Amino acid sequence: MLRITGGKVYDPANGIDGQVKDLCIDDNGQFVESVPGGRTIDATGMIVFPGGVDVHTHVAGGAINFARAMTPEDHRRTQAFIRTKSRRSGLGGMAPTTFATGYLYAGMGWTTVNEAAVPVLSARHTHEELADIPIVDKASLTLMANNEIMLDQMEKGEFERAKQVVAWYLWAAKSYGIKAVNPGGVAAWKYGHDAKQLDSPIDGYNRLTPGDIVTQLARICDELGLPHPIHLHCNNLGAPGNISTTLDTLVRLEGHRAHIAHSQYHAYGGDGWDTMCSKTAELAEYFNTHPNLTTDAGAVLFGDTVTITADGPWQHLLHKLTGRKWGNLDVENETGCGIVPYTYRPSNLVNAVQWAAGLELLLLIRDPWQVFLSTDHPNGGCFWRYPEIIHLLMNADFRRECMLKLPSKVKGRITLPEVDREYTLYEVAISMSAGPARALGLRHKGNLGIGCDGDVVIYEENADVEQMFGHPRYVIKGGEVVLEDGDIRETPQGKEFLVRPQIDAGIDDFMRPLFEDCYTMQFENYPVEIERLEHPDIRECAPVSG
Amino acid sequence: MGGKVTCTLGEVKQRADFIVYWGGNPAECHPRHFTKYTIMQKSKFLPRGRKDRTMVLVDIRETKSAKAADIFLQVRPGKDFELITILRAMIKDQHVSDEQISATGLTRDAIDDLIRRMKAAKFGCFFFGMGLSMTRGKHMNSASLLMLAAEMNAFTKFVAMPMRGHGNVTGADVIMRWQTGYPFGISFNRGYPRYNPGEFSTVDVLVRGDCDAAFIIGADPGATMPQPAIDHLARIPTIVLDPHITHTSRLARVHITTAPQGIAAPGTAYRMDELPMPLKPALKSPYPSDEEVVRRINEAIAKKPFWLPDGRQSPNLWSTQVNQ
Ligand SMILES: [Zn+2]
Repeated sequence: MLRITGGKVYDPANGIDGQVKDLCIDDNGQFVESVPGGRTIDATGMIVFPGGVDVHTHVAGGAINFARAMTPEDHRRTQAFIRTKSRRSGLGGMAPTTFATGYLYAGMGWTTVNEAAVPVLSARHTHEELADIPIVDKASLTLMANNEIMLDQMEKGEFERAKQVVAWYLWAAKSYGIKAVNPGGVAAWKYGHDAKQLDSPIDGYNRLTPGDIVTQLARICDELGLPHPIHLHCNNLGAPGNISTTLDTLVRLEGHRAHIAHSQYHAYGGDGWDTMCSKTAELAEYFNTHPNLTTDAGAVLFGDTVTITADGPWQHLLHKLTGRKWGNLDVENETGCGIVPYTYRPSNLVNAVQWAAGLELLLLIRDPWQVFLSTDHPNGGCFWRYPEIIHLLMNADFRRECMLKLPSKVKGRITLPEVDREYTLYEVAISMSAGPARALGLRHKGNLGIGCDGDVVIYEENADVEQMFGHPRYVIKGGEVVLEDGDIRETPQGKEFLVRPQIDAGIDDFMRPLFEDCYTMQFENYPVEIERLEHPDIRECAPVSG
Repeated sequence: MGGKVTCTLGEVKQRADFIVYWGGNPAECHPRHFTKYTIMQKSKFLPRGRKDRTMVLVDIRETKSAKAADIFLQVRPGKDFELITILRAMIKDQHVSDEQISATGLTRDAIDDLIRRMKAAKFGCFFFGMGLSMTRGKHMNSASLLMLAAEMNAFTKFVAMPMRGHGNVTGADVIMRWQTGYPFGISFNRGYPRYNPGEFSTVDVLVRGDCDAAFIIGADPGATMPQPAIDHLARIPTIVLDPHITHTSRLARVHITTAPQGIAAPGTAYRMDELPMPLKPALKSPYPSDEEVVRRINEAIAKKPFWLPDGRQSPNLWSTQVNQ
């Protein structure tokens, strides 16, 4: 039992904006009206937020583990976590190790994370890694938009079958929702090609286009009633002029819920690297008039990182542009994955545009319930640098100071200099917690209301925003004080969220021959056993009408 | 230089119309490789199976695998690196002299033919074995073949994959990476993981006599390591978990007999393409699994007083990240 008294509470899910209010958490780790005893934290003069929720990150599984293998030089220079009685050792940096990932997220006040890209074939591996990430609760999304068994059904016009195939895969992966990466493009990459536009042909298919996949997958997510809608990484990521592709994609999502991943990478004008510019104003305007959509920024911070994505063809291009190491892993029937270390430099015009574009989206999309803090960790920067972004959002003067370091040619290519908006603490709380929790359909997260999970972060008020958000005074996870005075005290094991959509009885018989045709493991061995998840928490599916 | 362009084995089964085995003898060392994954399988993209695929074997001698090959290229011992470098140059139409080519043991015609076929393939794959990775040049050979595969993507789809063996070495590698950032050769001496193969690899630590105890699971270093390493294992308290009596178990102070993985103990093994496969035991064993033994030892150790200073005093714990 725990009581937090006297703090200024920011709880956007319940419209509470800085009022002084007491919070009580019972022995089940949930908020209640009052508790008969237990510890009291005096938060007088402090700021109380719901625990952070990361809607889109890459922290576990084959791809990030490939990235770890490719960057030993970074591990050597980075933050070391020394083993203590309550903590295991590990390394921070661009691709932190699993234990360190939990300590770093919790150390910053984040208590729920969503691993955004899991191939079903290696989902067993992903769940094992997630089990090694302490403290935070976790969800994971299954990569579906290039799954050939599903695409074959769509090509034949068998929508209901495609939906059943998706449901079967979701349960096989023991995952929480659907991620679509470069629909059709990754499938085409299997023979070295791409599908950049919504009407592009896809290698191996006669009728099916990326646009069809987008629309049908969005409908499938709605009809299966997944708590989180389609989570979409659009086609043509990173390319100058891709704003037209992105807007074309959004039009095809009308009538459906959707979450657009890392929009920053999809909001460029120009027709080449020399003429590339930010088109975030156009994209933001679309969001401002379409409440069915949410997005995360995929903001970029200057410095070293490693990029990892299921978007294989993009990574090949990035490797050719930079000459840096290139990792690629195509996953049979399902998806791909590419890895390239990268350094964002303020002196580089393209990087400067990207840096500005991420912040612009966060500032130009008016409703903070629609756009969330993210760097697409580790792609645009590492998650442990989120406090830097909060600082930039809260302080227009600081942004102007940072813009002085950009090349003069950037003038006219970005909108940021004209944006005066500054985030309030209330808006920060939406962007880092309440908003992403709602978009994920995790109603008991990012919410300090009665019955919700007792995940709280308490900051000492400080004019230095980066210091304040980077070093909370207390972090409470499920009612347990996990961080106090800058030190991790407890490392409880978090839950894993998943869904079990309605699956037709005959689907196993339908899948088996198709499966045996293209996979190299036994059909029976493919689905992840529920026993392999530590603390699984199956969430309800409730079909949404269009 | 660096990186790896690869895929899961199902991609090879489905799509690879051009397969090169380099420095390996799958017919004898990975006998199911041809039939399950590479040359014999039919797929929707390669409906005629073997007839739709070309297989090239590159090795210093004509092994049994040569019979299965469409083309056998006999490279001169120790000249793999040179041959790969020549291929990397010639795919980009760079000049290579006749002497340089003849030093590899191959003819210009043979190399031209190989390059023509590589570029004409829709999906090519290199599999490389210990004949490449453990001979003169070692990891430089593997790295250059990985680069060749990466560079071939300028012309067509190409991937590369090492032929790994010996139980679940890939699994150990994968898990060490997610827990410590490194695959092997890790020291925890300073309380956090550091990596330096050649210094912290098991063989180096043993030869130098740096460790004062050894705990060995799923390996028989007593059979394969140099004598000074074996001598040190015999000198210190060595504990072995193994279903069998081995060279190492004979010199160990303690040998705990465990149930064999996959036969009588469940678990997960990572295939050479890093896919996790569940192991379902066919038999029962009176012996505990490795996992159970390690868990019980861990529980016993947890009851002892903690031997490290309390981490709260540690100055490095929340040190600033380095980022330029
Ligand atoms: Zn991502």
